[in-house]
This record gives sequence, C-alpha cells and structure tokens, in this order.
Amino acid sequence: MSANTARCPMGHGTTELPEQAESRPTHVGGVQHSGAKEVPVVNWLQPAQLLADPYGSYARLRTEAPVAWVPMLNKFLVTSYAGCHEIEQDQSIFSANVSGSTMNRAIGAHPMLRKDDPEHATDRLAVNPVLRPKNIKEAWAEVFARNADIYLDELEDVGPDNADLNRDYAAPLAAKNLGDLVGLKDVDVQTVRTWSHDFIAGIGNVLDDPEIWRRCEASTEQADALINELIPHYQLHPNASMLSAWANSGLPDANIAANVKLSISGGMNEPQHMVTNIVWALSNHPDQREQVLADPTRWTAVFDEAVRWLSPIGMYPRETTVDTVLEGVRIPAGSGIAVVVAAANHDPAQFGENAADFDISRPKKSHLAFGAGVHLCAGHWAAKSAIGQIAVPKAYERFPGLRIEESRPGQWAGWVFRGLTSLPVTWN
Amino acid sequence: MPSITFTQPDGTAQRLEVEQETTLMRAAVSNGIDGIVGECGGQAMCATCHVYIRPEYADALPELGADEDEMLDCTAAERTERSRLGCQISTGASLPEIIVDIPAGQV
Repeated sequence: MSANTARCPMGHGTTELPEQAESRPTHVGGVQHSGAKEVPVVNWLQPAQLLADPYGSYARLRTEAPVAWVPMLNKFLVTSYAGCHEIEQDQSIFSANVSGSTMNRAIGAHPMLRKDDPEHATDRLAVNPVLRPKNIKEAWAEVFARNADIYLDELEDVGPDNADLNRDYAAPLAAKNLGDLVGLKDVDVQTVRTWSHDFIAGIGNVLDDPEIWRRCEASTEQADALINELIPHYQLHPNASMLSAWANSGLPDANIAANVKLSISGGMNEPQHMVTNIVWALSNHPDQREQVLADPTRWTAVFDEAVRWLSPIGMYPRETTVDTVLEGVRIPAGSGIAVVVAAANHDPAQFGENAADFDISRPKKSHLAFGAGVHLCAGHWAAKSAIGQIAVPKAYERFPGLRIEESRPGQWAGWVFRGLTSLPVTWN
Repeated sequence: MPSITFTQPDGTAQRLEVEQETTLMRAAVSNGIDGIVGECGGQAMCATCHVYIRPEYADALPELGADEDEMLDCTAAERTERSRLGCQISTGASLPEIIVDIPAGQV
C-alpha cells in the first residue's frame, strides 16, 4: 500500500498489485487503410437472447467478428477492448454528436454527452470541480450516508421475508442521492424517478413509440420549469451541487437545462443497478463476500470488479466522421457505431482467460464501465463514493447476513442498459 | 521537433518526437506507450497519466494547478515531489525535451 492511499478521498484499497504490461492499440485513428478486411456481417444476433443474457452473444461476437456490421441495429458493433478503447481516443473520427440522437429528442435538448470538443468541454469543465474526489468527500459523503440510513430504515421495516433490495433501497436511494447532488432541491424522490425513467425510455426508444415521446415531453416540460427557477436561485445562493456550478458558469440557460436533464437521465439507474449488482455478485461468491466483510478496505476492489463484470451501461453510440479502418475493418463515413463496453469488459485479451469471472483479487486493469476519454462518466467518483464506499458497505453493516433470497427469484432486464429490476433479499 | 522520453519501471526507454504543444499523456496514448492510461482524456478527472519528472526539467514546467494537485492525491503509485499528471504538461518552446519515469501502476 503506497503512502498516498490515505490521502485520496476515494482510496485505492490495500492490494496494490503492480500493473502488468497493458495491451494497447498500436496506432490511434484509422489511417492504415491498406490490408483492411471485408466487413463481417452478423445476422445471428437474437434480441430476445440479448435481453435475457447478452454475454454469450458478446463472447461469440468478440471471437468471430469484434468489429461487425449488424443490419438489425443498422450499426457496426464493436465488442473488443482494443476496438472500444481506440474509438474513445479520437473524437474527430468517432463523434459523439450522432445523427438522429434519441437522447437529444428524449430530453428536448443537446447535452454534452452528444457533443465533441470544444463544445463538449465548455459544458463539462464547469461541473468537473463538483465531481472530483475532494468535493465528493467533503460536501457529499455525509449526505450519501444520511440518505443510505433513511432507506435502510425503510428496508428494515419491510423485513427479511418481503424485502426487495431494488424496490426498497437501491432505487429510492439512487434517486435521492441524485436529486441532492444535482441540486434539484425540494423535488420528491418519486418525481426524480419518473423523469429519469421517462428520459431513459426515450433514449432507448429506437422503435419510435409515440407514447414514450409523449411522456418525455411532459417530463421535459416539468424539469425545464424547475431548472428555470433554480438557475437564478443558485446564482444568489451557490452551494456544492452540480446545478449551482452550472448556474454560476456563465453558460447559456439552454446548455444548463440540457446537462441537468442529462444528469437526471444518466445518474440514477446506474448507481441503482450497482447496489443490486454488488449484492447479487457477492451472494453468488460467498468466499469473496467473506473476504470483504472481514476486510472493509476491499470494498474499493469489490465496486471496481462488479462494475467491470456487470456493467450497467452495456453500449453507447458513436458515428464516424470520415472513412476509417478500425481493427482492420473498413468503416465508411457517417456509419453508426455501437461501442459495446459490456463486451469489451469481458475481453480475455485485456483481462485474461478468466475475464468472464467475478474476481475481486484480479490484477488491476483499466476497464470501460465508465467509458473512456473526454466522455468518461462525470459522476464516476460520486458513484464510487455513494455506492462503493457508502450504500453497499452500510447495508452489510446493518444486515451482516444480507443475501439474495433464492425462493423469490430476481429479474434481470436490458442489454443497452442492464440491471436487476427486482432483487428479493433476506438477512436473518 | 520536441522530444519526450518515457522510461519504464524496468529501465527501458522510448523516445518520441512530437509536434509542438503535445501533452505527455496524448503522446503516450497515441504511440502505445505502456503504463500511461489517460482515462479521462486530459480533463484532470482521473489520475491515470501519472509520471515522475526528472529533476533537471522541473524548472521548465508549468505550476501545479489546484485540480492537478487534488488528483495527484489519487494516484495508484506513490506520489512524490516529482509527480505530475502527463495531461497537464505540454512540449513547447520552454520545454523542447523532457524525460519522465512511468510509475509501476496507474489504476
């Protein structure tokens, strides 16, 4: 353990394994057009299989065609670690400003996640100071802990015969933490959940369901009305929240509203899913559960391994701006790209032959659960604190016997966004 | 052209010739230098482009910024008085060449 681990507000745990040689792309950007392969076309992907459990399909894609054209999705799917990593190194070739963005339509605005630099940086740099480890520790860790206690009380009231960790703890806690950190003030938890669900449904509305768009418009209208009130409020009464930072950044109100709605969309489901994912993973690996309960410094490794193993965001889009070659496959300008980070995070070329296993003691390696490059999840330090160091450890402190209740099966859902929609637990 | 030399923990050195105003992080990542991750793309939001600056170049560096100082507390390998983030240091007229040591780990 190096001397500085005590100083970092987030810590690095005690197992400082030296990093082995990292696998790296040998060049950045697709300039080597000679020798490019014919584009592999994949028609065997089954939507039902992806929804039930995508990891088998990911393994086959990675082995047979790590960069593949998938007509069903009208996109190139990239499933290798090297391919996904290379994409994130060059936004001038792989743009986040994708055509026909469902995200932009869902929130009625153009947020930083769908911009490239320098426009992206203008929005992003304003909020980064709120989300660095020091501010998270000093301004927010206590709030995250208080919120965890509130919902642990509620979980306890439901009792070990009926408790659902998602419904009774992870979901309301994630919404409460998000409302506080974003600075939505007095908005109740249920409203935050409704807005977030509507925006997420819109982002995933590739089938163009008009009812989903109608709900997005209603939530956008409500959220915009609140944001328009809160911008002048925070200009007079600044605090440590994201909205306050944006309100005092000099950015146009439209940029602020877009990014607050982005934060509401992207800041709830993922931390919520990480609470249940970790308890699911530890319940299925009792030896590792014992290790972390005996040595709480291991929670850092538990979070990091769980977010790699069961990445809540499985895929996100990019679009090529020029003809390029990725991992030897020719991709024309204007192509839709699916960056399948959940697949990349199980790539044996990066994580070894046991890449598909949950192992909190594996050698530390970079993964892509939070993305990489300029769009690296702005909330990643907040998530490591709120979930990895507070919500989950506090749940085991309160209920040392916490585990999944096999007689009431849980339910996984989704592949673009994937998590447990229900996780019955017990603790006696 | 400016040059950057990255020295690995095992002593092997790689010298890169780069354009003016290239950050150490970008040069390393673009050229596949092992041991520099640059996870956040240069926003001082992670600490995965940590390098140890050789003392003879210390005076030519820009001052340590508050954001960089904060993130250097979160490096995987030990922070020393030679520690900087590679994304915050660019080659240029005042820094035509530099030699840095890569730490044993970044994540």
